[in-house]
Amino acid sequence: MSTTTDSTPQTHSMGHSMKRKEDPRFIRGHGKYLDDFTLPGMVWMSLVHSPYPHARIVKIDKTAALAVPGVIAVLTGEDLAAHNLAWVPTFHGYDKQMVLAVGKVLYQYQEVAGVIATSREIAQDAAELVDVEYEPLDPVTNPFQSREDKIILRDDRENKTNHIYHWEVGKREETDAALAASDVTIKERIVFQRCHPAPLEPCGILADMSPNTGRLTLYLTSQAPHAHRTVVSLVTGIPEDKIHIISPDIGGGFGNKVPVYPGYVVSAAASVVLGVPVKWVETRTENLTTTGFARDYHMDVEIGASKDGRVTALKVATAADHGAFDAAADPTKYPAGLFGIVTGSYDFPTAFTELDAYFTNKAPGGVAYRCSFRVTEASFAIERGMELLARKLNMDPSELRLKNFVRKDQFPYPSPLGFVYDSGDYHLTLRKALDLIGYDDLRKEQAEKRKRGELMGIGISTFTEAVGAGPSKHFDIMGIKMFDSAEIRVHPTGSAILRAGTKSQGQGHETTWAQIAAEELGLDPQNIMVEEGDTDTAPYGLGTYASRSTPVAGAAIAMASRKIREKARKIAAHLLEAPLDDVEWTNYKFQVKGQPDNALTMQQIAFAAYTNPAPDSEPGLEATFYYDPPNLTFPYGAYIAVVDVDRETGAVKVRRFLAIDDCGTVINPMIVEGQIHGGLTEGFAIAFMQEIAYDEQGNNLNTNFTDYLVPTSLETPHWETSSTYTPSPHHPIGAKGVGESPNVGSPAAFVNAVMDALSPLGVTHIDMPLTREKVWRACRQATTA
Amino acid sequence: MNLEYRGTETIPASKDAVWAFINDPASIASCMPDVLESTVVDPRTFDAVVQVAVGPVRGKFKFHVVLDPQPGGDRMNMKISGGGFGSVVDLDAGADIRADGAGTTLDWTGAASMRGPVATVGGRVIDSQAKRVISTTFANVKSKLSPATVAQPT
Repeated sequence: MSTTTDSTPQTHSMGHSMKRKEDPRFIRGHGKYLDDFTLPGMVWMSLVHSPYPHARIVKIDKTAALAVPGVIAVLTGEDLAAHNLAWVPTFHGYDKQMVLAVGKVLYQYQEVAGVIATSREIAQDAAELVDVEYEPLDPVTNPFQSREDKIILRDDRENKTNHIYHWEVGKREETDAALAASDVTIKERIVFQRCHPAPLEPCGILADMSPNTGRLTLYLTSQAPHAHRTVVSLVTGIPEDKIHIISPDIGGGFGNKVPVYPGYVVSAAASVVLGVPVKWVETRTENLTTTGFARDYHMDVEIGASKDGRVTALKVATAADHGAFDAAADPTKYPAGLFGIVTGSYDFPTAFTELDAYFTNKAPGGVAYRCSFRVTEASFAIERGMELLARKLNMDPSELRLKNFVRKDQFPYPSPLGFVYDSGDYHLTLRKALDLIGYDDLRKEQAEKRKRGELMGIGISTFTEAVGAGPSKHFDIMGIKMFDSAEIRVHPTGSAILRAGTKSQGQGHETTWAQIAAEELGLDPQNIMVEEGDTDTAPYGLGTYASRSTPVAGAAIAMASRKIREKARKIAAHLLEAPLDDVEWTNYKFQVKGQPDNALTMQQIAFAAYTNPAPDSEPGLEATFYYDPPNLTFPYGAYIAVVDVDRETGAVKVRRFLAIDDCGTVINPMIVEGQIHGGLTEGFAIAFMQEIAYDEQGNNLNTNFTDYLVPTSLETPHWETSSTYTPSPHHPIGAKGVGESPNVGSPAAFVNAVMDALSPLGVTHIDMPLTREKVWRACRQATTA
Repeated sequence: MNLEYRGTETIPASKDAVWAFINDPASIASCMPDVLESTVVDPRTFDAVVQVAVGPVRGKFKFHVVLDPQPGGDRMNMKISGGGFGSVVDLDAGADIRADGAGTTLDWTGAASMRGPVATVGGRVIDSQAKRVISTTFANVKSKLSPATVAQPT
């Protein structure tokens, strides 16, 4: 059983809203991003993209482009094929993807050629002159068309089908029987639309092959520098010691900077061949049309329940649109990610979920956009499903949730789909949310408004995530286990440098990592320098995505600190002239048991480690730890949205939004709040604005920020936040990770609120994004029906 | 993105004169708006460079135009394909020609298919632009075959 409290403890360094150490340079405009790097002799690469979603390449004529003064080379797929680089493995290695198109193009904007020139402008202009003759083919633009197999997209694959894989977990027969025997069932197709992480800084690379050293240095917008180094080595055959990846400051990743993109490979190959540094920075359109998208899950959700609202079974069947290649970013053994979390916060007696993935003529991807590998899709499915069930039962959605939550005495809770939830108190967190937002009064207000014909809605989402991938017995990417690492060196004067295998893209690791180490070592977090992203110096790690940094690398930092502390205790015993067993770590100092006046600080120990080490002990004070988590962590939350809908215009005003998060131990409350504000804003955008839509001809209709909307402060609602704290029992500091919770949990709260508002009209479901037009049409259709 | 248009022009010239005019690549090229240069490839074909400004898509598009007169002299089909700046435009146009008293009536249709950046701005901006190109072309056919124009050689 877990213990949940209303406040996080404030100790030496943890639980304090310390200002972010990285912010002075960002606020002053002194961050150093990929595009800020230039090298002597550097040239530029620009890509040629296909206007067709599906076409044979008849001919590529480079003549006009090569004739432009300043153009150095034009590379095509055929050129790369000569170096065995026309195709590279996808993320988990089950498929391969074209670097530059060979034979045919499979999605609009696919990369067809790369132009290398002495300036960015010349490269871009010359790219327009590469004359590609296409023979258009009929496109496939959704998974349901794809599964008919009338048009086979991937000639290169042995199996002539668009079906990529089938995945299932749970008990099919038992679930079907339970559903059939249920008093009440709901079934709805719920689509989580194709959206895009759209980081403000797009992806890019500066590749520098040094003819002198034979080393390939890649400045790269990478969320996972070490994994990328290994992939580059495996694909090119270049020994890993000859590859140096530097991931500088990153302006947002959200999963988009995890995969390896054709622009990276072409630039690196060009630098190797030409012997000069080659830079490529994608445009906004390239980012939105070719790099890793998210979601595109079409989920048939069925829930059964008894008349009194006790859930009996859950079944979810999903068609997943993976685009032209199976480049979804999921751990190797989890082709559908952690979608099995779809039973959510509820104690289902039985459940079954299955998924079929299909190729289409759309950009490849399926990245974990601010979520832990398909957890957002799963959370949206179950939270929408519970809302539909409440409606069918004519039961208050909060009451239905409270009736079916996993109880706190059930933790560790084995879910019917194979997870073991670590801890939580879902009842307490939802009750706190209901109390804080004044739920009963809001329902009274809603009843009054409905009498007047006004549309007001209240939406609840009580999600549970599975994050922190992951335990090595289950989690790997291309065979590399998903541990993470930390290396800490304490300097003689008591300051330190901390390096980790993660890579911040705005999460504030320079601050929070220092706070963890400072807490464990009794040092000043201001004097602990944090360094990430340089594969020559940082210990090997799998990087930052899927809310794994704090659950995995954060644990590694605590454990490396404890290794240092154990060594320091020996030094303390030597200095205090006391038996080792009599020396204890109390109040952030070493003291002889029961003698608080006979104590030494870590600073004193550190100095001694270099000036007066203990006999028979190694000088210095440093440690490295590779942390292999025993389980995932399970952050959760209770979100409530309150909306007013204008039936005449379809405009939705999010009047209030309360997010209560429980992410276990909090390292820095200010950073947690910032993460929640950012994620809620993204969730708001997904719910109301954003979709990467394709028309029937395969045209991508959302290729820039005019068509793919990012909310500004004008549109963004005011966020109310609060917390409960249930430390993870298996994490060294009890932390669970929070960066992705608001993106995971909020879309369902928004949609549930709008559907609640529209319920007097009989509207039960509208797929996101809930644009004014869709809401207006639903109102109009209901009114005129 | 697929767009379809149709319209009618009544031309104060004989059906034979209209038929002869629209069978001449150079004449048709001279009727298209915003043409910067045109090259007649053969008696049925011409290439044209057209200035395009559709939302953020601005620049020169290259088009290849093939005339396909139907037997009987009552219908002319025209296939226009080309593009630029990563966009592709395919336009199938056709006109039914019939004598109408002293003049000739030209019932025209056009179906445009667009891909690439130009398709993104499609629904809002390109619809009126494409319609303008097609309607202006046929309006110019009428204009050039009107007596005042015919009487004054250019």
